[in-house]
Amino acid sequence: MYLVIVYDINVDRVNKVHKFLKAYLHWQQNSVFEGKVTKSQYNEIIDKLDNLIDEDEDSIIIYKFPYKYLDKKVLGIEKNPILFIL
Amino acid sequence: MKNPLYITSHGILSRKDNTLYFINETDKKQIPIHAISEINCFGKVSLKSGASTFLMKEGIVVNFFNKYGFYEGSLYPKIKLNSGLVVVRQSEHYLDVKKRQYIAKEFVEGIKHNILKTMKYYSKKGKNLDEYIENIEKENIDGDIAQMMSCEGRIWNNFYQSFNVILRKFPFNKREIRPPIDEINSLLSFGNSLLYTTVLSELYQTYLHPSVSFLHEPSERRFSLSLDFADIFKPIIVDRTIFKLVNNNMLSKKHFTYDVGCLLNDKGKQIFISEYQKKLETTIMHQTLNKKVSYKYLIRLEGYKLIKHFLKDKQYESFKMWW
Repeated sequence: MYLVIVYDINVDRVNKVHKFLKAYLHWQQNSVFEGKVTKSQYNEIIDKLDNLIDEDEDSIIIYKFPYKYLDKKVLGIEKNPILFIL
Repeated sequence: MKNPLYITSHGILSRKDNTLYFINETDKKQIPIHAISEINCFGKVSLKSGASTFLMKEGIVVNFFNKYGFYEGSLYPKIKLNSGLVVVRQSEHYLDVKKRQYIAKEFVEGIKHNILKTMKYYSKKGKNLDEYIENIEKENIDGDIAQMMSCEGRIWNNFYQSFNVILRKFPFNKREIRPPIDEINSLLSFGNSLLYTTVLSELYQTYLHPSVSFLHEPSERRFSLSLDFADIFKPIIVDRTIFKLVNNNMLSKKHFTYDVGCLLNDKGKQIFISEYQKKLETTIMHQTLNKKVSYKYLIRLEGYKLIKHFLKDKQYESFKMWW
């Protein structure tokens, strides 16, 4: 499955969330991550994020869909193209 | 879901914030550790100790190739799936001549079947391959290991001779390995070493011991079980990729360097790898599992089938293309 994660988090905790997501997904823009994950990784991510945030102040939105429906278009600069051949 | 990572440029791999960083002259790139299955290094890559211990802990195999694209060696993590029982049974099947011959015969049968399928596909497209197909069909696989090996050699020879009919450009006469003398030889060498490492990484996910092999002698320097497995999948994965790249004009003379022999340059390598990767991710409907599986997963299934054979659960039948 393909995930797009968008978050709005208090400065105190934002770095923790950013660091955690970096290990699973590709950073796209400020507070936006995306990438392919497995079902178990998806559950892991949700579980861990739930522990990291303060439910009264922070907000995270997760979009999930099959990879074949991904239709991505970038205008302007592509900050971080997803590559597996470097 | 996990993708292999191919590094064709020069740089340093290091660990930061529980994930990987690749630093080269021009930029710094983050690589999500949980999104990669293995790393193949074609450029000059330095691993910092932090990165290497981290990769070992995560169970990611790192393969190194020299500048000619030949496999040099691997950073192989400590074995995660350990089973003494399977290793003992695997060795038992090697030591018992009858049992070893059965498995070796299955391997060669698989190679023969897959080559014939590939050739018949092109013969349906109007290429005149009848002579070679007949030659291969005549081959009778029997006898001891040495006889089977020579039989396998004859099958490959016939298949390679038919390349001149299938391919639209780049004449190909004879398989020359050290060094590859023409374009097709270099493509074959590069593709075979890629497949070899793919098989090795898949074997890491099973209980099998990668150096106890059946068709090839286990005394060879490399993990010889992956040589056995790679041969079965070569016609479907490597050779089909080459046919596509050459016949669709995706590769031309400018993608090679002619130095000592003939080799792919960086651009050529990238084109080859991306096409090879697409091939591995192609899915087909599996009859017994009743779900879609990728070509890459078929390699691992082959390992599972062999384990079942060792444990006397189900007799081993090598992979034969059914589509």
